Amino acid sequence: MWGTPVSEEDKLDRDATKQVIRRSWQFAAPYHRTIITALALVTVWTATTLAGPVIVSYGIDDGITKHSSRVLNMAVVAYISVTVLAYVIARFQYVYINRAGESFLRDLRVRVFDHLQRQGLAYFDREKTGVLVSRMTADIESMGELIQFGLLQFVSAALLVVMALVLLFVLSWELTLLALVVFPIIVLASIRFQRDSNRAYLQVRERVGNNLSALQEGISGVRVIQAFGREDEQSRRFAESNGSLFDSHMHSIKVSVWYFALVEFCGIVATAAIVGVGGWLVHRGSVSLGVVTAFVLLLSSLFEPMQQLSQLYNTVQSAGAALQKLYGILDTVPEVDEVPGAVQLPRLGELIVDAVGFEYVPGRPVLSGVSLAVGVGERIALVGPTGAGKSTLAKLMARLYDPTDGSVSFGGIDLRNASLASLRMRVVVVPQEGFLFSGTIRDNLRIARPSATDDEIARSLAAIGVLDHFLAFPDGLATEVRERGSRLSAGERQLIALARAALVDPAVLVLDEATSNLDPGTEAEVEHALESLMRDRTVIVVAHRLSTVRRADRIAVVDAGGLAELGSHDQLVALGGKYAALSAAWERNQQSGAVLTD
Amino acid sequence: MSSPQDSAQDRPEAERTPWRLLTGLLAEQKRGLVAGVLVGVAWAAAKVSIPSLIRNAIDRGIRGNESLLKWSLIIGGVGVLAGIFTGWRRWLAFRESRTTESRLRERLFDHIIRLHVSYHDEAQTGQLMSRASSDLQQLQAFVVMIPLVLSNLFQFVAIIILLVTSDPLLALFALVPLPFVNLSARRFNGKIHPAVMAVQNRQAALATVVEETVSGVRVVKGFGAEGVQSSKLAAEADQIRTVSLQAARIRARFLPAIDLLPSIGLIAVLAVGGHRVLDGEMTIGQLIQFNSSVLLLIWPMRNIGMMLATGQRAAVALQRVQVVLSTDPEVGNPVHPLHLPTTADTDVGSRALGTVVFRDVTFGYDATRPVLEHFDIVIPGGRSVAIVGATGSGKSTVTRLMLRFYDVQQGSIELDGCDLRGLTLHDLRHAVGVVFEDTLLFHDTVAANIAFAHPEASLERIEAAAKLAGAHEFVLALPEGYATLLGERGFSLSGGQRQRIAIARAILADSRVLILDDATSAVDPSKEHEIREAMTTVMRDRTTIVIAHRPGTIALADTVLLLDGGRVAAQGTHDELLASSAGYRDVLASWTHDAVEPIGGE
Repeated sequence: MWGTPVSEEDKLDRDATKQVIRRSWQFAAPYHRTIITALALVTVWTATTLAGPVIVSYGIDDGITKHSSRVLNMAVVAYISVTVLAYVIARFQYVYINRAGESFLRDLRVRVFDHLQRQGLAYFDREKTGVLVSRMTADIESMGELIQFGLLQFVSAALLVVMALVLLFVLSWELTLLALVVFPIIVLASIRFQRDSNRAYLQVRERVGNNLSALQEGISGVRVIQAFGREDEQSRRFAESNGSLFDSHMHSIKVSVWYFALVEFCGIVATAAIVGVGGWLVHRGSVSLGVVTAFVLLLSSLFEPMQQLSQLYNTVQSAGAALQKLYGILDTVPEVDEVPGAVQLPRLGELIVDAVGFEYVPGRPVLSGVSLAVGVGERIALVGPTGAGKSTLAKLMARLYDPTDGSVSFGGIDLRNASLASLRMRVVVVPQEGFLFSGTIRDNLRIARPSATDDEIARSLAAIGVLDHFLAFPDGLATEVRERGSRLSAGERQLIALARAALVDPAVLVLDEATSNLDPGTEAEVEHALESLMRDRTVIVVAHRLSTVRRADRIAVVDAGGLAELGSHDQLVALGGKYAALSAAWERNQQSGAVLTD
Repeated sequence: MSSPQDSAQDRPEAERTPWRLLTGLLAEQKRGLVAGVLVGVAWAAAKVSIPSLIRNAIDRGIRGNESLLKWSLIIGGVGVLAGIFTGWRRWLAFRESRTTESRLRERLFDHIIRLHVSYHDEAQTGQLMSRASSDLQQLQAFVVMIPLVLSNLFQFVAIIILLVTSDPLLALFALVPLPFVNLSARRFNGKIHPAVMAVQNRQAALATVVEETVSGVRVVKGFGAEGVQSSKLAAEADQIRTVSLQAARIRARFLPAIDLLPSIGLIAVLAVGGHRVLDGEMTIGQLIQFNSSVLLLIWPMRNIGMMLATGQRAAVALQRVQVVLSTDPEVGNPVHPLHLPTTADTDVGSRALGTVVFRDVTFGYDATRPVLEHFDIVIPGGRSVAIVGATGSGKSTVTRLMLRFYDVQQGSIELDGCDLRGLTLHDLRHAVGVVFEDTLLFHDTVAANIAFAHPEASLERIEAAAKLAGAHEFVLALPEGYATLLGERGFSLSGGQRQRIAIARAILADSRVLILDDATSAVDPSKEHEIREAMTTVMRDRTTIVIAHRPGTIALADTVLLLDGGRVAAQGTHDELLASSAGYRDVLASWTHDAVEPIGGE
């Protein structure tokens, strides 16, 4: 079956279609000339495909019937010229259409990606990674396919139907009316087929997805399956999902079988009618034999494009839907963006949170009225129950989000007025898990500062005491970390994340401590690197471990969206409030371990 | 299909067998395929007859004096037949090809999930997935063409015979361009394939950039690295355009030629045929017959070229599938299986079942580097043992050997006096239950996930297991209770909740030996005690092997084994080892690093 299906909710109405077309036309402004040239070429090419039968008809009527070999030769020469012309034009039209189309897609990719990157983190929290990625990949790729195969066919099929109809009408209106008797059947069948096949294909796609998941579950769960002796049951279940995929395939074939049978039938019956009625008209002298021949040869030019149109319709529609969504991304206004006339942040300064409130969803505040001043070089631990808002507070302090109320400032400058470049130089966030990009270890550090020299990179690793660890790798710092860092352990990934921060050499470090344990070997190394990194810097750490909390200058207890307590460990324990309880619970939990050192 | 390959005896095995696999599969569908070919031949006959009928209608009906209506009705009648055969041929072709695909996929799945674990250690999930998806699609695309192309071939030959017998010279002129169509189509397929692959590779590279940037957006934003990523993407987008345009140029070179080559035949018919009609050697009807016949030849010509290309791709795909299917499971059932004693057996008496003995076991994933060496333990029925050791000391290997995921290289493992290799896998794995470190839940209801070992278990039994595992309450709080769908596309549970479902799963399995392989590692330390209670309940009167990092969990066991260098370094109760073994204290201290340092630092 041809093309990509389009789901009901993705179908564009008339207004949306118009808008998508207008927007695409504007977007394609740099290559309007190429597009117009391509369209002109398609039109001429379509005309040449119709010329053949007309020339044959002319050759028969004016050459053969009238016994003129000169006219016949002229017809042959004309046919040759048209064929050569058609070849040349066809070559150019491929090149032009693809050049315009691929440039359009290239710009679309770059523009959407750049725009995506300007979105604030909140945007990425809301949208699913998979959806965003497939917008940028699968959706645009399917448009690429449309450009390579479909667009040309779609335009020329539409032109062909119109031009063939006009031509036939000029040749003989009686025979055209006759041919048009089967035309409505084809049109109706095509519309129905387009609808049914789309529906059938959507079902196939869904079941292919289910079947793949069942397959993946079986393969990745093979140890559990074998451990519980579930092979037979799992086979049975897979057979079920596989069977339902088969059924949906068969259903989609059923839909197409009727259509293709009907189209074949209509084409031949129309030929029969043209021959019968046309012959009768020839007897009466109102139509020539050449015209009847032209009709017989041209009928396929009328029916084939109808079929193509109905099959391409879904593809074109789904491309339209994809474009609409991509334009939707381009229309999203970034939440965290640089204001005009943004200023540089000073090298050092106090980080002040002033009456800050924040809500992800309007009307449901996560934080409200939080005020906190962090001195130069001070270390603050944020503690509190899950969901109390401590991570959010840390992110606001690095302007990963903008506060809904109040302000966060560094060295007296509101972060919203600071240039993003200087902000990222002064305040660095180290996330829970070290995320790796494909490329070498060096490439991965350079993400933090693209201009860094190899020397600076080595120095930043040395600064946190892990240079030797990575130099010991087979290719040293040029070692490819491979896909998602499969070669590096969780601890090593964490070390790279820390080295990135060291490379930037920021004044403020915002840390989100990992909740899960690393393997004992690297755990100590990470701990040590972290300690070197934090030295002489202002540190905000979202803490999950007692050891981290104990090393902080002050502890901020975040609870129910507000700052509940603030002070040193001893102060807060003496206070006997929430922190005192939390700390006691912590120690109890680790009692069995604590006993060991006695 | 198979003859050229089968005759080549000197070819390597893997290259010959795929066709045998295919012929075997197709033999099962002989009836459907033969029907498909027969209907296809009928279809071709109908199609081929039409140009001659048109000729007769013109020569006898229009120019002659026969009844035009008769010829017209005959053409219409053939139209009905052609319509029916078109649909039928298509139906049969697709039905058979989808059947082949579907059956083979089932076979593959059944085979894959029964392959030994060490196979899966090596194989990549993605690779196996594409064996059962894209490779089978290639095969389907080939099988569907068998009836279609055979009937096209018949049509092709029939038309050529008709043309040659009716006017050999004109037939020669009309047919001259056709071999070139075929040749061009084949050359085109050869050239476009690598170009399309190049486009796909570039698209994959761009997808990586996008995927990394979106998943790593916190890093990108945190360091203001948007510019770096943008220029990476722009470079990839440029590359895609470049390779796509290369592919377009190949299309531009071949496709118009393939489209227009038949026109040369049509021109020849008009030129040569036209003059012969003028000379009275041929009728107009014949001229038109030639014209429409040449048009009918175009599709079969292209299809045959396509079939060659599809056939090559299917052969490669089939070969890859065959490699998987020809791998035999290394761990299998014995010829004469032993039977595990049950409580009813006299020689067992009142002794609790589930005695596990590792006797001088040596094993390594790579046989030259043993993980366990001369490893000996005895766990009496109903007792519990905690295995403790540094990372890489082989703790989890004990679990895997106990389940017979691997076979020992030396020594033996016995369960209630039976060597594991003497038991059927079914009996063994029903006797040994396990909670793995990373809990895998299946896309199914909570109830079905718990009842994994016994799908027929009643809801009461499932709830009882959940209660024991401390899962009942949170399950009831889920949107649809026990009917809530879990897994990748279902409701996502926290690490601790998943772990408790896994424990419930092991409880319901009610095996005589239970292995808890690092079952608490994913649980938030503050919630660990909840699971610990569940574990105490489950371990009562059941042989249990606990592999753990956390002292609280280790303390649950009757005995503790310290594993070092593939051997038992020390053995005793938790307290005894604390007192006597420095190694034990070291291992524990390295895990509890956090708690140790601040509290007892001085």
